[in-house]
Amino acid sequence: MSSEKKFLDVSHVSKNASPMPEELAIRIEELSISYKVSLEAKRTLKNAVMRASLRQEARVRSIDAIKKLSLDVPHGSVLGIVGSNGAGKSTLMRCIAGILSPTEGRVTVNGKISTLLALGVGFNPALSGRDNIILGGLASGLTKEEIESKTDEIAEFAALPDGFIDLPVRTYSSGMYGRLSFSVAVSMTPDILLLDEALSAGDAAFKEKSFERMRQLCAEARTILIVSHALATVTDLCDTAIWMHKGALLSKGKPEEIVDQYLKFLNVGSLPSNYEDM
Amino acid sequence: MPTNQDFVPKIQVFEPHRASLPPLIPYIKEFWKRRTFAIELARFSDKAEYLDSRLGKVWLVLNPLLLGMVYYLVVTIIRGGHKGTGLTTLDHLLIGLFTFYFAQNCVTAGAQSITMGGRLILNQAFPRALLPFATAIQAFQQFVPTIPVYIFILVTGKYFYPATQVPGWTFNFLWIPFILVCVALTGFGLALVFATLNVYFRDTNKLLTYITRIWMYLSPVLWLPETLHGMSRLLLYINPLGPALTATSDVWISGKGPHGLIIFGCLFWAIASIGIGGYFFISRERDFAIRI
Repeated sequence: MSSEKKFLDVSHVSKNASPMPEELAIRIEELSISYKVSLEAKRTLKNAVMRASLRQEARVRSIDAIKKLSLDVPHGSVLGIVGSNGAGKSTLMRCIAGILSPTEGRVTVNGKISTLLALGVGFNPALSGRDNIILGGLASGLTKEEIESKTDEIAEFAALPDGFIDLPVRTYSSGMYGRLSFSVAVSMTPDILLLDEALSAGDAAFKEKSFERMRQLCAEARTILIVSHALATVTDLCDTAIWMHKGALLSKGKPEEIVDQYLKFLNVGSLPSNYEDM
Repeated sequence: MPTNQDFVPKIQVFEPHRASLPPLIPYIKEFWKRRTFAIELARFSDKAEYLDSRLGKVWLVLNPLLLGMVYYLVVTIIRGGHKGTGLTTLDHLLIGLFTFYFAQNCVTAGAQSITMGGRLILNQAFPRALLPFATAIQAFQQFVPTIPVYIFILVTGKYFYPATQVPGWTFNFLWIPFILVCVALTGFGLALVFATLNVYFRDTNKLLTYITRIWMYLSPVLWLPETLHGMSRLLLYINPLGPALTATSDVWISGKGPHGLIIFGCLFWAIASIGIGGYFFISRERDFAIRI
């Protein structure tokens, strides 16, 4: 039986990009992201004028957030990303989502993306949970009709106490706030879902419900990328994992192996607490 | 159950941007596709803003109305009375202030829209111009209730002070939507410029307070456009709101249609503001997530 690879022509999107294998959801080629950070306490017009009058240059520091990273993510895979703070995990997610531009290299994405990179994005604390569901859904790219038809389902999934859905979200506990945000994000049916520490929302019961929803999304052959310091999330949900350190990809493999390598590197051992939230 | 539509491949390629502008057609298409987000964001922001205020949206009308009264008193005292023109000066002042505030709100709220929307910028990919666009819609929503209030003042002013100049029904009122569109586009274009500047220099907004104050004094709000003659009339044309405010006064007070040069001025500033503001904003918006 022939297993000839099929390629997607992406020349209509980018003249320089080479055809992408059809089975891939994400292809990252030699990606580098660096940016300059101002060392001034405040970037103001006043300081800029003062600097110009004294003929001084702006004090900036260049940061290499991602260094020459290449990675292929097939459709339907659940990829866990582990690494210490400052490893470049969130920057990588933002680049895949199209929020940050590459400095070098290329990211090709084949599918509709939904992101949950922070909880409550687009939410207004003065508005009710119901209003925020609509606002959050629209911010995520849903149409008004789509989000309105899902409002009750989202409210039910978030398991808010009776009547809370019509109260301002500033009156919510942090758990309720997190649950509502998570429910909005997973209510969509994206091809690719990017999650950054989102599964830490809510109590044990809600975490189980979240895991169940994630498994359901996996079963529907969605591609999911999860950044988490809770290593149990990576070993339980993911079929592949990568370990990033200081912007570089150190290794890729089975989640258990990657987590082991990472724990050895951190020199903390396999304590149960490491699997909870680090 | 996923639908077929969910699996329609949507290929995106992210590469380093060397050209100053991203491909404009996909940008505009995406902007248009997500306009409901801007409309709802404006509606909900408006709702949230007045949720805790006892008088709620009444403030939208009360604020410029009270300010109009104060300016009217000052202007009338300086002129030594209303000199047999009834409340014409007050009417000119009010419609000028309401229209000016519409543009000013577009600019000042739009200038903060990117820095205030930091979480959205960092966590969602969408055309960033939607945020200042939402503030422009909100400014329009806040402007609309001032029109019936203005008409009420105009009619009751005529009743109590018959010398007040009130135009009868005329087809020249059809110029009003044109003028408002020009004011909205000018305000939105300038908002794009100041929103971008505010990302790079966080004190831009403080400076804007003084700029808008001077802008109002230089606009035909506290004074009538007819008071300028000869070369000084240039002041009307070099001011982005000069032609639109002159046209506003012509239509609402005299019932006259704006003359050709004023129409050209309105169009020029609307197109120039959108063109310059759009270029300045869109060519830099890919850096916003880093600069925020």
